[in-house]
Amino acid sequence: MLDTASSAAAARQHPPLRRPGPRILVRAAVIAALLLFVLLALPQLLSLYYIDTMTQVAVYCVVALGLGVLVGRVGLVSLGQAAVLAIGAWVAARLLFATTQPYPLVLLEAGLVTMAAGTLIGLPALRLRGLYLALITLMLAGAITVVLATTNFPNGGHGFLGYNGAAVHIPAIRRPSIAASDPAYFRYSVVVAALMFLLVFAHIRTRPGRAWAAIRQSEPAALAAGINTTLYKLWAFALASFVTGVAGGVLAGAVHYLYSIDFPAQDSITLLAVVLMGGAYSLWGAIVAALLLELLPALLNNWGVSADWLTILFGLGVLQVLTTAPAGLADQVPKDLARLGRLLRRLPAGRRERPAPPGQGPAQEPAGGPR
Amino acid sequence: MPSWQDFQPFIVSGLALGGVYALSGVGTVVLYQATGVLYLAFGAVGAMGALIAWSLTNAGAPDWVAWLVCVAFGGVVTLGYGMLFGPPLARRGPLVKAVATLGLTLVLFGVMDLLWTANGGQSRAITLPTDNGGFMVGQVQVTWTQVIGLGAGVALVVVTGAFLRYTKLGTAMRAMANDREITATLGVPVRRVEAAAWLGCGVIAGVAGLLLADLVALDATTLTFLVISSLAAALIARLRSVTLTFVAAIAIGLVHDLVTPIQSLSNYRDMTPFVLAAVALLVLSRHRVISLSPEEG
Repeated sequence: MLDTASSAAAARQHPPLRRPGPRILVRAAVIAALLLFVLLALPQLLSLYYIDTMTQVAVYCVVALGLGVLVGRVGLVSLGQAAVLAIGAWVAARLLFATTQPYPLVLLEAGLVTMAAGTLIGLPALRLRGLYLALITLMLAGAITVVLATTNFPNGGHGFLGYNGAAVHIPAIRRPSIAASDPAYFRYSVVVAALMFLLVFAHIRTRPGRAWAAIRQSEPAALAAGINTTLYKLWAFALASFVTGVAGGVLAGAVHYLYSIDFPAQDSITLLAVVLMGGAYSLWGAIVAALLLELLPALLNNWGVSADWLTILFGLGVLQVLTTAPAGLADQVPKDLARLGRLLRRLPAGRRERPAPPGQGPAQEPAGGPR
Repeated sequence: MPSWQDFQPFIVSGLALGGVYALSGVGTVVLYQATGVLYLAFGAVGAMGALIAWSLTNAGAPDWVAWLVCVAFGGVVTLGYGMLFGPPLARRGPLVKAVATLGLTLVLFGVMDLLWTANGGQSRAITLPTDNGGFMVGQVQVTWTQVIGLGAGVALVVVTGAFLRYTKLGTAMRAMANDREITATLGVPVRRVEAAAWLGCGVIAGVAGLLLADLVALDATTLTFLVISSLAAALIARLRSVTLTFVAAIAIGLVHDLVTPIQSLSNYRDMTPFVLAAVALLVLSRHRVISLSPEEG
């Protein structure tokens, strides 16, 4: 754009950035307040059992976030994220046993290695979409589960696999020196989770997010618009795998001992179920998904109810979401609350007013509810 | 490297297993062609039917009643699901329909774990009377159950092929696979044809569940996810060809069992269906075509 006319036209089309409006500031303040509450107040209020549970919630928040990016933002259903989490946990455990690197570095490395592995899993995404992609990720995840059952998780042994089958005393996976106790590790995991959310948020708000939206809408159209769909689809897999790998690292430190039986094949399916129920399109949905996946079983366990009821609930939830509420709870609950609010506001007014005569204007419309 | 003698029994068991995979695979493919739904709950339905049959046998009911209930259970649950969740999802793509069947899988899985917990340490088994009889082929013992497994697979492929080509209902199913809307305007009772497809697939799921419970193991998790092997066969056939599904299923069953005597690979033999399907899919889609085909979104 060398001449002034076209650059003036361009400037008119792209107005200068305005200061963020009041709604965004309010939202940011709410999130900050919530984060502070969780970091400072929550560990004081909960028992050790629930602090452990909430650490798991923090881990799975990030995993659900990764899957949400794939499913909600790009439209690629991956049935293999639980296997990716296992890879992340494996790498972190191996590094933690073999080296004395600081914890953040280990997390970063676990994320990067998982990113490489996840991108490899995503390579079929270049040629497949929709149903075939979902099935091939299911297949690959199944293959990884079989491999893990044989190689097991590192437990302080030597060699590449770091697994000592004959060990009598298995060392625990270490935690960062600043966060050795359970409440402190909970805070640590919340901070890591918040950083991952920030990373994904930054992606969504900039070019990758727009490219993903275009690809989800219609891949041929995105290609025609000049978007490098190959790059952005791989980028989505890379991002999802990176955050899941970091979550795996946090999980390794949280549980201290990793066993391949803790990563069964159906976890990938349950993960997809809760992400769909929580809402794949919104970041809050990831938090709802993690609460469903980790907090509910802990509550049921405490009350002596079998966790199988939850599996049944998630199955029914998937069916319900797909048939009636495609955007999940995170989208549906505010809408339902808004509808409830409108109903409540209309009730007393309805009793007082008589129906307005045709000549007058429409009755007062209540403002839209919280979104 | 093990000798030919060591491989022989695994050829027989591999063929039998492959036959049952073919049974499941063909059932899945026909249902997919007729309704557009990839029935991922196939294994779970069969597993639960087998567990019900086991409970009935344990409670003293005669064997044939238990088997009948297993097959009927498969048919009823599948038909129920198809009639309940088929219409609301009829307009959505195959991916959504397949994920919905995952919901059914989870429900069945939860119910199975609730009613037949695996924690007791008690291992269950189903034995069919055909396990005891058999004959010798060379130096290998072949049981009648294995013959049934392979035979049922072959029979189903032949019968399904003939059914789809020569009967009115079969032609209607092929028409619906082509285009549901146009078929409806031609006066074909699409809902009834769909119901027939669902019921048929469910019955096959029950039979496959019973056979797999006998040939492999009576365990909810194993049986539910064994469907992935038959799914691999169906995928290799691109969810289109019944014959190719059969061939692929036999191949998967054979490779899976033949790897058993090879020490270094034996632990990884459960990866067979995954690896084969992944390789096949990647090879088959090596020409990158951005199409608007239904399977590809």
